[in-house]
Amino acid sequence: MRLDPSILARIQFAFTVSFHIIFPTMSIGLAAFLAVVEALWLKTKDPLYLQIYRFWLSIFAMGFGIGVVTGIVLSFEFGLGFARFAEMAGPAIGPMIALEVLTAFFLEAGFLGIMLFGLHRVGPKLHFFASCMVAAGTVISASWILSANSWMQTPAGVAIHDGHLTVVSWRHVVVNPSWPYRLPHMVTAAYLTASFMVAGVGAWYLLRGKHQHFARRTVALGTAFVSVLIAGQVFIGDIVYGTMLKYQPSKMQAAEGFWEKNSQSPAPYYWIIIPDQNNQRNRFALGIPYLGSIWLTHSLDGRVEGLKNTPRDSQPIMGMVFYAFRIMYGLAIVMFAVGVASLWLRLRGRLFSSRWFLWMLVFMTPSGIIATLAGWYVAETGRQPWVIYGILRTVDAMSPVPAQALLSSLIAFVCVYAVFIIVFLTFTFRIIRRGPAEAPPHAEASGSLKNAFRPHVLDSPARVVKRG
Amino acid sequence: MLSASFLTFALTLYVILDGFDLGVGILLLLQPAMPSRDHMVDSITPTWDGNETWIIMAGVTVLAAFPVAYAILLPALYLPVIFMLLALGFRGVSFEFRVQTKRHRRKCDIAFAAGSIVAAFMQGLILGGLMQGVRVQNLHFAGSVLDIFRPLPVISGITLVVGYVVLGGGWLKLKSNLSVQQFASRCLRVSTPLFAVLFGIVCIYAVNIQPSIRSEWMSHRIALPCLVGLFAVLAGTLTALAKKSRPTMPFFLGLLLFVVGISGMALIVFPNIVPFSLSLWDAASSSTSQKFVLIGAALVTPVVLVYSGFAYWIFRGRTPENGWGE
Repeated sequence: MRLDPSILARIQFAFTVSFHIIFPTMSIGLAAFLAVVEALWLKTKDPLYLQIYRFWLSIFAMGFGIGVVTGIVLSFEFGLGFARFAEMAGPAIGPMIALEVLTAFFLEAGFLGIMLFGLHRVGPKLHFFASCMVAAGTVISASWILSANSWMQTPAGVAIHDGHLTVVSWRHVVVNPSWPYRLPHMVTAAYLTASFMVAGVGAWYLLRGKHQHFARRTVALGTAFVSVLIAGQVFIGDIVYGTMLKYQPSKMQAAEGFWEKNSQSPAPYYWIIIPDQNNQRNRFALGIPYLGSIWLTHSLDGRVEGLKNTPRDSQPIMGMVFYAFRIMYGLAIVMFAVGVASLWLRLRGRLFSSRWFLWMLVFMTPSGIIATLAGWYVAETGRQPWVIYGILRTVDAMSPVPAQALLSSLIAFVCVYAVFIIVFLTFTFRIIRRGPAEAPPHAEASGSLKNAFRPHVLDSPARVVKRG
Repeated sequence: MLSASFLTFALTLYVILDGFDLGVGILLLLQPAMPSRDHMVDSITPTWDGNETWIIMAGVTVLAAFPVAYAILLPALYLPVIFMLLALGFRGVSFEFRVQTKRHRRKCDIAFAAGSIVAAFMQGLILGGLMQGVRVQNLHFAGSVLDIFRPLPVISGITLVVGYVVLGGGWLKLKSNLSVQQFASRCLRVSTPLFAVLFGIVCIYAVNIQPSIRSEWMSHRIALPCLVGLFAVLAGTLTALAKKSRPTMPFFLGLLLFVVGISGMALIVFPNIVPFSLSLWDAASSSTSQKFVLIGAALVTPVVLVYSGFAYWIFRGRTPENGWGE
């Protein structure tokens, strides 16, 4: 069998980037959650918040570590697998990623040490400041990377002369048409991810009858965040949908599962299809009648555009885009239901006692991660066959690296990342099983910024050694 | 040109900062006592993340400012870069998890040390590969991915491993308790002369196989021999002082050693970016892109240095016996 380097390079990139995005999603969400919890602790001086902070900090730290090391891979992979892409897009996305490193990575890295190990070295206020800086760093990082990716989706602000790309307007490159909507979409997704994780672990403790105080507080916090965030996310998602429909119609055509230029009227909303890309039709399609017209055209008999509106050589593969979109959308509906149910139960005072709801939360723990991944699959597979939409095709973006080298590195990545995820899950489950430790009494919420600069390190051997 | 200076700056910071992290990692393998190993790891725990970020900075600067070079170098260096990334990954992950476990800590330490060695070796391999030269046609890489596994890169890989041990040893003298300091002194006394000798071999070998390097020697008749002399003097001082001197000296001598080495390299490579076939200007992206990066870098880098320095300052002094406390 002859191996196709372009397929291997794409699988490798898809694998490494999918694996990577799980961890930043958690980090963005958990960093914000931790900052909020620490603020609550400083305000109320309730040690329970410190306990919550410490518990989630340890999981955050592990996720952040994996995010960093898998992220380093990506910054080189543009060139390793897609040299032509790097050469062409370098002038536009390179500077954005460079500024991401400068403005975000260093911010995160600089303050992460203080956040993780500095609770005794600096005062609570400075420590809170460090938590906020890490949370801000994750959002700034997301902002730049979404800017770079959105530029690939909706390129703007550049001119092309015989295959070379020059930036005409940085404002248009950075604030490209889809970025203002895709950024809040991603950040909200990350916050939802963290909220479901927090609520899910709390619900598990409640079902087990362990760590009651901790569990109640985290379930209350998590579901409250979910209720607010999911409402916002549905709204933002709708705007993103409209934007992509305008700039990348082929993606949305593929996401809805229709082939004909204009669907039947009224259009159903498909949930299951077996697409036949070669013959440009569906072998099988199952949907809810009328719903497609109502949701997509906001009328009872509107028609929906199908993928045949896009020339065949510029079509994405329908099945991938369709199912990725259905998974994301389906999960969003369930999340919405959870949000509404939590409000209802909260009002009735049964939030902590409805076992069905707690089980639901437990099952929804990874839902944010799955929905975010699915969303990225919509964005990335829907952009194909382009790597820079309308400018550079993916097949023309490859590196001159032989298939054998790509295959061996792909196998190495799969093996190593498998170890990473196993280790991460093992330790996360261990931390969850062990439960939140009692917060040590000496870490009180007191002290001013002045104290922060004069840490009282009791066990520092420095003076002892110098004297001796 | 300014981009190139920024690139050199980022690379230098990476090499010396992550150099001692990697060095400490490598030395874990030689340290039999578990408490001492814990102590060694604790000494780099709060800051390794920031140190590692400089390599991303260097890589991305090449992408932004010299996209043509990025597109040539990464395919050319495909295998060592991939292995380096995987090794750094292993290292980072075993680092995060070793605190979580008592039972598997030994395994984590081995993974950490192995990751450090492989990453250091691969970086040396990359350096050697660059010195050896990269085959380029029509601004695209035209060699084979296996070109890198030749004697010169391999020797320079070993050299860099030893060099990082020197840096790591200096760091441990600066930051650790008495027993680890003695351990570090012993390591320094062996590794420093070894590093100097290996470095010399790499220089001589490189001159012999790469005519461009020989001509660079001819054109920098004064500067390069001076740097070599300085290098030898520094290495000698470091070996002599390893045992007794104040704990700050070895670390800073080690840093200087690396700075001298890197300036020599820079002098040889300049004005190329893909050694001996592509100059900085041929690889540069349009001036708007360069300006965007440079303005950003000029504004943000000082701030970054200030709070990175602040983080070091918070964790200043010797590492507490029981870690930084959780």
